[in-house]
Amino acid sequence: MMRKNLTAVLAATLLVGPLAACGSSGGSGSGAGGSGGSVTVGESTSLSGSIANLGQTGLQGLQMAVDDINAKGGLLGKKVKVVSADDNAQPATGAANARSMITKDKAVALFGPVSSAVASAEEQVAEQYKTPIFFHTSNDVSLMTKTFTPYAFQNVPNTTMEPRAVADYLAKKVGSKQITIATFAPDYSFGHDTVDGFLQALKKLHVNYKLVKQEFPPLGASNISSYLSALVSAHPQYVFNAQYGGDLVAFTKQASQFGFFKDTTVIAMYAYAPLDALGSAAPTGAIGFDRAAFWAIKNPEMSKFVTAYKAKYKKYPTEWAILAYASAQEWAYGVKKAGSFDSDKVIKEIPGATVPTIIGDMKIRECDHQAEVPEYVGTISKTASSQYGGLHLYDNIFTAPFNDIALTCDEAKALQQ
Amino acid sequence: MDSGSIITNLIGILTTAGTLFMVAAGLTLVFGALRLINIAHGSFYMYGAYFATTLSAHLAGAGFWVALVVCPLAVAVMGALVEVLVLRRLYRREHLTQLLATFALLLIFADIALRLWGKDVRSIKPPSALSGHFQFAGAAVPIYNLFVIGVAVLVAVGLWALMSRTKLGWRIRAVVDDPEVLASSGTNVPLILTGVFALGALLAGLSGVVIAPQQAVQPGMDAEIIVAAFIVAVIGGLGSIVGAAVGSLVIGVVETLGAVWTPSWASTFIYALMILVLAIRPWGLFGEAER
Repeated sequence: MMRKNLTAVLAATLLVGPLAACGSSGGSGSGAGGSGGSVTVGESTSLSGSIANLGQTGLQGLQMAVDDINAKGGLLGKKVKVVSADDNAQPATGAANARSMITKDKAVALFGPVSSAVASAEEQVAEQYKTPIFFHTSNDVSLMTKTFTPYAFQNVPNTTMEPRAVADYLAKKVGSKQITIATFAPDYSFGHDTVDGFLQALKKLHVNYKLVKQEFPPLGASNISSYLSALVSAHPQYVFNAQYGGDLVAFTKQASQFGFFKDTTVIAMYAYAPLDALGSAAPTGAIGFDRAAFWAIKNPEMSKFVTAYKAKYKKYPTEWAILAYASAQEWAYGVKKAGSFDSDKVIKEIPGATVPTIIGDMKIRECDHQAEVPEYVGTISKTASSQYGGLHLYDNIFTAPFNDIALTCDEAKALQQ
Repeated sequence: MDSGSIITNLIGILTTAGTLFMVAAGLTLVFGALRLINIAHGSFYMYGAYFATTLSAHLAGAGFWVALVVCPLAVAVMGALVEVLVLRRLYRREHLTQLLATFALLLIFADIALRLWGKDVRSIKPPSALSGHFQFAGAAVPIYNLFVIGVAVLVAVGLWALMSRTKLGWRIRAVVDDPEVLASSGTNVPLILTGVFALGALLAGLSGVVIAPQQAVQPGMDAEIIVAAFIVAVIGGLGSIVGAAVGSLVIGVVETLGAVWTPSWASTFIYALMILVLAIRPWGLFGEAER
């Protein structure tokens, strides 16, 4: 039965596939002691597969922050080096990378991966080796509640905050009208949590809605026509879509061919990257949200960063790049205050502090190490922005304030074990 | 279900089936003639899409139509080179060697694609003649989906005509059954094998170009499609073009109706179906039991 064997071998090859594609790059540091020389920080993230763009631009943001630190003479007289590795979105690979960065490369701080599942695995490694870790992309609220450790910091609107911000915006828009809603999200914890958070927030805001369809296509599935057909058939007035990156681009292109955006308002993470990929095909009138919209954050440091980033990478910075940069600034702030790279000293300086970053002053809450960052929501403009290369950005941008959307410290503490 | 929903779902089924069929047909054609499962087949699909994004970025207006002709041919050339330079040496080796070699090719092609195109998500606009939709029996019918289905039907009919109505098709089938006799009758067997492999690559490349205006063109799409195409080929029977067509339709139905009725189980059904087929007919619905 040759064919049967073939099938088994092929199946095995396909399953082993992702493991074979990992590797690490970058130089290694020379430890934390003494003056002169260098220190190393590590970022293990997703650099391949369908979420590679999130990982890559995050890493670029971190690299630029470190370059800027080095250009000003380094930290405590040392140059900072970045080591990076691809986690293939696998928790085991991420944890192994993090461990190797700490033990082999002597990394004094870690910066976070894309996937929250990987982040959770790395958080354990960070705690075990007493090394600070800064999450700038993965945003599962349980990283700071259920599995909280004093070594972890989260600089993203988490899975509670993000959907609440969007629900606030929608509630203001629809008032007491009855509306029909469908949801569409990738089939893993982030997708389910975000959708649940959104619906709960709507309930809390007394929005009069009827749920007509819920779908969870697999993460990274580019051919979603079957799921989309089901969604179109349900004729919802609003669709809350928790997809991002390439998945969201594929959704938008296929949905617009159905004329879906005419009668349905899609609410999705139309941040800079998907808007850039879509170009003039951007769904005007849809509601977008972004964790760090560079065009809405008005301060000289941000403009300087945007210009430098554009010059270096020929693109505007994604929210992932911006928040990675701010995270590096946060770590550097802690090191300077502590006057040392020693983890236990560094992590004492950050909670409760207000760190000046490119996104403005970023306060880090003591109870759960959540950065008090806002979420940006807006309606995608019918007119292309002349300032930003013809992109369709948001009209009437709404900046959801942290205190309106975050768990209270009491709530967060109750969830911490 | 009202008539609008039935039509919408039918379009979903046929679009899914159409894109899958074009890739799976190439995979199964190559297996039939060369007895080789080419994991790197997914790379041809991805390169078709990437070539199309690059070409249409440089050619305004008619860019898509030019890409539709030029890019599959470019991928076919790529396929011919791969066959001549690498795979030809592996025909008499064990299947495991072939699998590992083509898997290595997939990884190498993925790395090259990263160098050439980076990690950004890319997309192209459908040509204006194919964008938009019209209303039919209460359903919005996207014109582009009809185009995808149409191309897949043309490919299916073309392949059927080639295999059963031409001398070349007869030779291809003879290569499968008795290469020695065919060679002794004066046919250039290696040339036929290269040709079949290039044709398989062309079909994958064509599918890549056709999906580029509809889906996100990005890293990882090579591995995603090869898994799906392989499932189709296994269900239909490796080596059978009819099997690839039926297998694609089966997957289209299971995915689409699964998404409508039990959204979060749709992909599980597909794997369950593959296991079921393997358990009852290990050679697939239209394959032949090993001689």
